[in-house]
Amino acid sequence: MKKIAGRAAAVIAWILIWQVTALIVHNQILLAGPLDTVKALRYLAKTPDFWQSVVSTTLRILIGFALGSALGIALACLAYKDRRFEIFLQPMVAALKSVPVASFVILLLIWFGPGNISTIICAMVVFPILYLNSLEGLAGTDKKMLEMAKVFRMPTERKLFYIYLPQLVPFFKGAFKLAIGMSFKSGIAAEVIGQPLHTIGNGLYLSKIYLETGELFAWTIVVVLIAFICEKILSFILARI
Amino acid sequence: MTIEIKDVCKSYDGKAVLSCVNLNIEDEHTYVITGPSGCGKTTLLRLILGLESPDSGTVRLLGDYKYPYINSGTVFQEDRLCDDFDAVTNVCMVSRKVYRETVTEELLRLLPGSELHKPVKELSGGQRRRVAIVRACAIPSDILIMDEPFTGLDDESRKKAIGYIREKQGSGPLVITTHDTRDLEFGRIIKL
Repeated sequence: MKKIAGRAAAVIAWILIWQVTALIVHNQILLAGPLDTVKALRYLAKTPDFWQSVVSTTLRILIGFALGSALGIALACLAYKDRRFEIFLQPMVAALKSVPVASFVILLLIWFGPGNISTIICAMVVFPILYLNSLEGLAGTDKKMLEMAKVFRMPTERKLFYIYLPQLVPFFKGAFKLAIGMSFKSGIAAEVIGQPLHTIGNGLYLSKIYLETGELFAWTIVVVLIAFICEKILSFILARI
Repeated sequence: MTIEIKDVCKSYDGKAVLSCVNLNIEDEHTYVITGPSGCGKTTLLRLILGLESPDSGTVRLLGDYKYPYINSGTVFQEDRLCDDFDAVTNVCMVSRKVYRETVTEELLRLLPGSELHKPVKELSGGQRRRVAIVRACAIPSDILIMDEPFTGLDDESRKKAIGYIREKQGSGPLVITTHDTRDLEFGRIIKL
């Protein structure tokens, strides 16, 4: 309880600092204060486009997250089974890790148009995180336990559940938490560049064009909130594995 | 079923561990392999299990055997249990052919009932060893292979475990490695 109160106090302190700074700057275009942001958020929430954007962006990002995760885990399993496949994938994984998201976004815009840009970018950002963590987890599996499973001819699904999964869960927990945050960051960035209609990224872009800093902050708060809720749901599920 | 071990040699990093070992393992017989640490007891068991290959010589399954590797109920030198699961689950997980009720009854013969549903990481070394013994004996197998199965067991538990293993041996062979051959005189003692 003390911990929660401490955290709440810290948040309130930063909101106050923000409000005081906004009052000092006294220019809504340069810095909208928290009250202006709440006003903008209330205004946005009354428009049907806001909810459509929230649902559309969240869905696209979550689909990208799921695709990237599934692909990362599946390819990590294959790479673990065959070292040659791991070597084959290394350059692609290194490229996905180091090439800026913006470069991919522009390339994907040329290839596919803006429609599903955030989904693809999310998958591309999430894939190396899940792939590398899963591979590390699999590589750390106790060889003696695998030998035991071989000797007893343990059924594959039981080997997965009793030997591999306990080893992988800590890696999954770290990877999923990192990946969900990265998904929203990269997905929204992709939408800002690609501007598919009825998305949060498009809303952010329009706020910039019309110098509506209050709306810009409001959209940002919405993104932070959605990412926070998704992370909590994910943590809840992971804690039960 | 017969396992023929013929002129088997094995070395690690140039150091000979087994030199020209010959042995036939036959049904209904018990083989107690003994010798000082490092003499190759575990290596011999690993060769029988097909987990390693000899440098020279052969380990062959004679007769009409349908699998490339022997179907063995095995106790490893280490317990090799899944720490976060209880004793019953640890035994059940290795085979679809065993049931929780039967396994519980088997475990109760060597362990107190209060210990069966705790994660095995909370059990003592001797208790974990007994879980490993039951796991080896509870699943249907053609041979029992046990590497130092009585480590950490007091005299009474050891006697109980020996009685249990003998009962479960059935018509297949039993191969045990140990430093201490007490109460195992019913088997053929092989000194490496």
